[in-house]
Amino acid sequence: MSATTGLYLSSTGSYPRIGDSPGLQALRRTIAALDRGERSHADLLDVQNEVTRHVIAGQVKAGLDVVTDGLIRWYDPISHLAGKLDNIEIKGLVRFFDTNTYFRQPVFAGAPIKRGNLVAGEYSFARNALGHLPTPQGKAGKLSIKPVLTGPYTLGKFSLSEQSGDRRCETFASLEARVQAYAEILASEIEPLAQAGAELIQIDEPAAIKYPNDWAIFEASLAPFVQARDNIRKSGCKLEVALYVYFHDCTPLYEKLLALPFDIVGLDFTYSPELVDLVVSAGSPKWLGLGLIDGRNTKLEDPAHLARQVERLLPKIKDQRAFLGPSSGLEYLPCDRAFAKLELLSKVRAELEGQKSR
Amino acid sequence: MSRQKLESLGLKLPLFPTTAVGSFPKPDYLTKARTEFNKKQISEKDLHDLEHKATAFWIEEQEKLGIDVLVDGEMYRGDMVAYFAERLPGFSVSGLVRSYGNRYYHKPIISGEAEWRSPLTVDWWKYAQSLTKKPVKGMLTGGYTILDWSFNEFYPDRRSAALALAKVVRKEVQALIAAGCKIIQIDEPALSVRPEELPIVLEAMELTTKGQNAYFITHACYGEFDKIYPGMLDLAVDNFDLEMSNSDLDLLELFRRHPFTKDISFGVVDVHSHQTDNPEVVRGRIEQALTILPKEGVWVDPDCGLKTRTVEQAIEKLCACVTAAKSFRDKYRQC
Repeated sequence: MSATTGLYLSSTGSYPRIGDSPGLQALRRTIAALDRGERSHADLLDVQNEVTRHVIAGQVKAGLDVVTDGLIRWYDPISHLAGKLDNIEIKGLVRFFDTNTYFRQPVFAGAPIKRGNLVAGEYSFARNALGHLPTPQGKAGKLSIKPVLTGPYTLGKFSLSEQSGDRRCETFASLEARVQAYAEILASEIEPLAQAGAELIQIDEPAAIKYPNDWAIFEASLAPFVQARDNIRKSGCKLEVALYVYFHDCTPLYEKLLALPFDIVGLDFTYSPELVDLVVSAGSPKWLGLGLIDGRNTKLEDPAHLARQVERLLPKIKDQRAFLGPSSGLEYLPCDRAFAKLELLSKVRAELEGQKSR
Repeated sequence: MSRQKLESLGLKLPLFPTTAVGSFPKPDYLTKARTEFNKKQISEKDLHDLEHKATAFWIEEQEKLGIDVLVDGEMYRGDMVAYFAERLPGFSVSGLVRSYGNRYYHKPIISGEAEWRSPLTVDWWKYAQSLTKKPVKGMLTGGYTILDWSFNEFYPDRRSAALALAKVVRKEVQALIAAGCKIIQIDEPALSVRPEELPIVLEAMELTTKGQNAYFITHACYGEFDKIYPGMLDLAVDNFDLEMSNSDLDLLELFRRHPFTKDISFGVVDVHSHQTDNPEVVRGRIEQALTILPKEGVWVDPDCGLKTRTVEQAIEKLCACVTAAKSFRDKYRQC
């Protein structure tokens, strides 16, 4: 068993949609042309497909083991999912954490209804795209692709209920009701994702660590997911569900996060200088996502330093199994730096293997 | 209350002074010229001539509307942080980064020691001021927001970066004052983004304005002010320019709980709406402000910069501000 047997290089979700060269700006041009009425939605779909293929190929080229579709089709982490539900209206722009990016805010006009799959179709396409790529040397049977869902608490926290006096809206005036409604709907996406071949599903809940006073609401929202996952497992399918939190210091909530019924917990190490020491001292009874690479800053970390951190962490983690990746999705970076961050992951692994062989 | 400070600077403003937050829409000819300049189809001088023409247009429009404290409209700026980053040693520019939807921008990278070598905005301020007898605000972006909207590859932490940039902005403040500018707005829209970093914002602004003889305004908008109020009142400025309309005046509730102790530039029109503002609604907003705030400290302006509106819409929104302010002036004159 090598030093990095249990270490997987993993995407944390999103990836830049465009680059700086004209050839990498097809998506931007097509959306602008669509807005002007010069292109159709079918044209947009073609370009989204092409960019998704390109982004998956880039992650494979960088040496990742677990890739995503880059969330290329997502307008933002909130409205992409909420906007597919009946009785949810997508309204004005609101700042998304401290990212200086914005999402469109969902507003409940009644009980949300899911008419079709949310991301299962997108996942099927991406999985197929990955399957059509030549398998890099040494990756046979190891390369996988995971779908990403924004979790019910984060969706509920960033949604509002229409203040119309209508009883259908009043029901969702409370955060708890909105979160629970999203939880039921998102949990129902687990089965189609598993049927589409997903063996690992990532649930993003950045708001859960930013607003710890709502912990009970967040925790209560997990029951439908656990049920859905366990049902899939009972049917004989393999399925792991990962919780990813980022954009805030998770150190005070470390123990509570690990006590949640997820198989993997992904942590953002960039907000908490003490988090490495905490994990080393407390250990982890769960597999961890190690967000050691800053997904928000262009500065490239020193791979040797990262390797030393991983070397300290890995023995303390259950089964010495962890997913090394950026602290968050990479859509906040320009394309060239995002790719450089992914390449960094392989450099860390090479450092670790070099250290072991020395 | 800073009316005395204004008077000590030789500025006698009416009750409910009207102003604009900073940016105005660029006329079509300027938008076209900027594209042509980027494609190297026109010279820098050609572009500058049109930027001067557009600045003169907006000064004239503000004069016609009866605005009391004018802005140059930022015809020569693309973005409130990039403008400074593109001109300051220590910065480079990244590839395209998404803001939202299909909007992308080149986010600055702090890649070395930030340095102020020569004035960045003074010539534009002088030009705008030469066109009017009314005061024109100097318009800057604060060190904390420049940091927050940039990638930091150089400074070891956010505090040291914000303070270094605050010192750079202070040099520009000094240059503006030396040129005769008496009202300087230092925008900090990132003020409330990380509430735990409010002490850094306060320290940075103190570094920028301390001991400088001008009336200072800061603009902030679309944030979680409930998380930083009333601590934000310690910011070393005289006047907070705040977006009030878009958030349904919910800040007034905070002001009720803890007195607002600065002058305020009270946003009375929503800049994200295409609609013409209902005069009664605008008046109602000022009416509500005056239930809590002393009239001597209330300025009237739009919620935010108007650059995303059309020229016609921007003028309509400014007009709504002036009309409402004048009606309150009349009301209090009769009292």
